[in-house]
Amino acid sequence: MLYQIFVDPFAQMVSMPDFLIQVIWEGFVAGILYALIALGFVLIFKASGVFNFAQGIMVVFAGLTLVGLHEAGVPAFLALILAIGVMALLAIAVERFVMRPLVNQPEIILLMSTIGMTYFLIGFGEFVFGGEPKQMITEELGLPTGSSAFEIGEQGLVILQHIDIAAAVIAIIMVASLALFFNKTRIGRALRAVADDHQAAQSVGISLNQIWAIVWFAAGIVALATGIMWGARSDVSFALEIVALKALPVLILGGFTSIPGAIVGGLIIGIGEKIGEIYWGPLVGGGIESWLAYMIALVFLLFRPQGLFGERIIERV
Amino acid sequence: MNRAVDPRDLAMDGDGLAKGEVLLEVKNVSLRFGGVKAITDISFDIRKGEIRAIIGPNGAGKTSMLNVINGFYTPQEGTITFRGEERKKIAPYQAAASGIARTFQNVALFKGMTTLDNIMAGRTLAMHRNFLWQLLYFGPALNEEIANRRKVEEIIDFLEIQHIRKVPVGRLPYGLQKRVELGRALAAQPSLLLLDEPMAGMNLEEKEDMSRFILDVNSQFGTTIALIEHDMGVVMDISDRVVVLDYGRKIGDGTPDEVKANQDVIDAYLGVSHQDEGEG
Repeated sequence: MLYQIFVDPFAQMVSMPDFLIQVIWEGFVAGILYALIALGFVLIFKASGVFNFAQGIMVVFAGLTLVGLHEAGVPAFLALILAIGVMALLAIAVERFVMRPLVNQPEIILLMSTIGMTYFLIGFGEFVFGGEPKQMITEELGLPTGSSAFEIGEQGLVILQHIDIAAAVIAIIMVASLALFFNKTRIGRALRAVADDHQAAQSVGISLNQIWAIVWFAAGIVALATGIMWGARSDVSFALEIVALKALPVLILGGFTSIPGAIVGGLIIGIGEKIGEIYWGPLVGGGIESWLAYMIALVFLLFRPQGLFGERIIERV
Repeated sequence: MNRAVDPRDLAMDGDGLAKGEVLLEVKNVSLRFGGVKAITDISFDIRKGEIRAIIGPNGAGKTSMLNVINGFYTPQEGTITFRGEERKKIAPYQAAASGIARTFQNVALFKGMTTLDNIMAGRTLAMHRNFLWQLLYFGPALNEEIANRRKVEEIIDFLEIQHIRKVPVGRLPYGLQKRVELGRALAAQPSLLLLDEPMAGMNLEEKEDMSRFILDVNSQFGTTIALIEHDMGVVMDISDRVVVLDYGRKIGDGTPDEVKANQDVIDAYLGVSHQDEGEG
């Protein structure tokens, strides 16, 4: 038994390195997608202290809008721009009808309101676009398809999907620009200021309403990118909304306030659960992929509650 | 003392008023929360270039008065005239845009951000490049960032807090936090600066430093200051005129010497015996 847990999996990894690399790559790509979803959570949490339960459905909604518009005969790129516009409208509506009436309410109330939004968006999405899964318009958007194979060693072979590579590149660009935006610009500073102290932020001339609309819009754009990437790998369907909950362990790992943390956390979870599933899964009859992430997060909560990169919890007593 | 700062650099933008003219006039203002009267029929003015103290026992309505002036509260009655214009109901960020900056009684800094970022946040209103430029970051938005950073460094020099520039303010001792908060308010180059108990909880040395900064801000930048403070020694030393509140009403107004001699003020502070109220 001990042999099976501590020795055998590593022996397998060494004996078939190409397979190991393939597994890590699959985990890496899944991790990128988790990270993108987590990024949407982080944006809103950073600026308003609200845990946005609706981020998952925003991903679905953004993807459906894009595909739905294209099905209705709108050219792909125009549909993309219109979808961005729809996310902007959604942001303004959320600010006006959800955030503004609930200003200064306890956080739990705001969380509840985002759960309400989730169900509203599910219903509204099904009403407008129907409930069936849709095919993402990958090629029309100019995203690469197909795959390349690389030989590793004697007869090893690793296959990389081009769309996965594109997803990784897009995620990296998004993260880098968001990190820069948050740390180096006036609006980024205003976002962080609002997160820290509403009253003080207002007193230096920051309009809460404007900031909230901007941050929900940014989260909407991230949701759209996630929807495209994830939709390209599977379908655009409401099932994605459940997958979005995987962002929770990612956030616990990376810290709710850290953009780089969302990425690193996503990768650790993505790669960790794939390797766990392939090499240790058979020991317990498989299926550990669905809970391993939460286990990792639990262990983390015990030792580092602010996450890997979260802002230190500073409290003077 | 560090005097590398050119006063003209930090002076507020011209509001067209000469020293001594009325900058802000509060007229018959009343504020209620449900049945609780926080402020009742208060009138006073703040003149350009002066240091105006608002004093009174706990619960007198001093902080409520500041909150009315900077737009957190909207009074039910009365008018507020700022720079000669009567103000309608405004939001706090609009008050900030009109040239009113403030500090808070229990330091309200952005705790996770560094001293530098906190003071930069104070310059929000001086930076105009819009969302899209900010997204690009390069070009005009970057130039703007650099120009404002220079101003902020001047303020940091002025307040002698260079050594804590990169420290998250949550980690600073209380006295320094108060100073950073003053810096953030100054960064807006306000024409009216509201200070809510700038010296509360400070030791003697810190109080002296803070008094010096307040006087310097007033004399070098020409900033008009309204402050709430409990330390009577400090108030009488640094302010030009004092308004005294008690239970939401104004009971005294004038120079420190006049106020000191006012019988109502003495009664409010020392208590007065009410023999006909019976024991208990």
